[in-house]
Amino acid sequence: MQLALREMRRAKVRFGLLASAVGLLVFLILFQQALLNGLTTDFVGAVDNSDNPILVLNEQARANIEGSFLLPDQVAAIGELDGVAATSTVGENTFTATTPVEPEPLDVVLFGYPLDGLGGPTSLSSGRLPEAAREGVASAADAGKGFAIGDTVTIVGEAEDVDITIVGLADEARWSVAPTVFVSYDTFEESIRAVNPDARLVLPSFVSVQPAPGVDVDALTDRIDQAVPGVESLTRSETIDQNPGVAGTRQSFNIILTLAFLVVVIVVGFFFLILTVQKSKSLTLLRAIGSPRSYLVKNLLAQIGLVLALGFIIGVGLTVFAIGAAPIGDVSISVSPRTIATTLVGIAVLSVIGGIGAIRRVLGIDPIEATEPGGQGT
Amino acid sequence: MPSSPTHVSPTPAVQLESVRKVYQSGDDEVVALGHASLTVASDEIVALVGPSGSGKTTLLSIAGGLLRASDGTVLVGGEDITTYDQKQLTKFRGNNVGFVFQAVNLVPFLTATENLTVVAEMNGRGGSAAKQRAHALLEQLGLGHRKRNLPDQLSGGERQRVAIGRALMNEPGLVLFDEPTSALDSKLGVQVMELIRSEIKGRQTAAIIVTHDTRMTEFADRTVEIADGELLPT
Repeated sequence: MQLALREMRRAKVRFGLLASAVGLLVFLILFQQALLNGLTTDFVGAVDNSDNPILVLNEQARANIEGSFLLPDQVAAIGELDGVAATSTVGENTFTATTPVEPEPLDVVLFGYPLDGLGGPTSLSSGRLPEAAREGVASAADAGKGFAIGDTVTIVGEAEDVDITIVGLADEARWSVAPTVFVSYDTFEESIRAVNPDARLVLPSFVSVQPAPGVDVDALTDRIDQAVPGVESLTRSETIDQNPGVAGTRQSFNIILTLAFLVVVIVVGFFFLILTVQKSKSLTLLRAIGSPRSYLVKNLLAQIGLVLALGFIIGVGLTVFAIGAAPIGDVSISVSPRTIATTLVGIAVLSVIGGIGAIRRVLGIDPIEATEPGGQGT
Repeated sequence: MPSSPTHVSPTPAVQLESVRKVYQSGDDEVVALGHASLTVASDEIVALVGPSGSGKTTLLSIAGGLLRASDGTVLVGGEDITTYDQKQLTKFRGNNVGFVFQAVNLVPFLTATENLTVVAEMNGRGGSAAKQRAHALLEQLGLGHRKRNLPDQLSGGERQRVAIGRALMNEPGLVLFDEPTSALDSKLGVQVMELIRSEIKGRQTAAIIVTHDTRMTEFADRTVEIADGELLPT
């Protein structure tokens, strides 16, 4: 350890540059994860943070809630199946609305659910759940756009408008990167009829299913799909994963993240390999005068560890600063401590793997080479 | 006034008995050292001279545990190292032998003091005692004012003196010098040889000095010649 520290102290620029490079890469990885998390949350937060154990959609919607509707006989058939403890019909649609703050009409997503049933938000950051018609819980990220508690959001209708009073706010509750409001199913129906007065029937987008105690969720989804024609049952996480926006975004980000992880491994691996080659005469000398291989390998690993630790501090610091200082448009970016910890552990493990070349080089040093002319250090 | 008697160990520092070192080159055998037998007393300085490729460094490396002999017996300080594996030889070198190699040989990113203390640290004996001993050795070698200097801040002679200090750091029974003056001019070479003799004799330890410069043999107690891998009768 002392050998590692002394070398680093006397080559501050070299090791500082590497730590900075690692720091920037860590920042790149964490910030992209924060961005991915923000985008994912903005796409599907409303479902991710809702009380929907199982969502039964129209099979032809291909897991896309916006393209799904269920017929009354399908809804009835789902409710009659064994293993189903409770069901709720949930409607989702995008409306044009005005708010006290936004001068121009904007898109608003309404989720309508039975106030005493499934489909509502699981937790609120402030206020309360709706208790009556024309009350709603809005996505907290949009409070500043006229979705704060006490604000009135007006759904612009053909004949008449529907005013919704915001009574609560929920974190990470947007849908399709738009302001989202959870209302009663009646209010949802009223809003649909306001924009389409000729609608004879308002169909739910999906049925939310609560499995009976002890019933396996996967088994129940299979049973629903087999028993009810034309439906596809998905767990909440499956609905999120298969959402077209989320799946495409995740795929793109995962490619970039994989490349960034590879770059970290290559940068750390090559740096220490080059460093080991450059100081091979010194290492040969140390081996010749009685240094065990383990002593040299421990010092190499200590250097990798110290460079990573410094890089992590730089990377995490930059990420925290960037997330706090630079909101990206409407997207509320964030990264959880767990994601940070997992990422750093992953980078550390991959860096050690990247350092295998240097470790092998150290292990392969033959001390007899110290007796060759020019075979040692200074 | 009679001088007080100094204790000299009766056990020889080095005993090589019919030692051979053979390398395979395809189907051929290359004999680097052939049936060499040499005994060095515990307080003796032996100069090993011979032309390039005569086997000097091979013999030195076998005596120091850097190489394993193909045949024969190698005893250093009474310890038979003939059958030691690489791990045992590494430990043996760290505890029992001091080395000064042909070129000036220090770790460039360590100060003079640290080049000495690393010998103790790598064998788990670091700490303030090692630092004190390193400082004392550097003082004795006239480098008290250079303790914090890096090798590239030292002259050639100073670097060689630091290397000598490093070789003495683990209080070895045997110090091996491989062409210690080859990188120095004649005047500096003589000064370094005087220093080596003074330090080795002052510590009642043994040394083998490989050199091809016969002028340096006057600093040894005995000179052994080697040619074509064979020790010549003296």
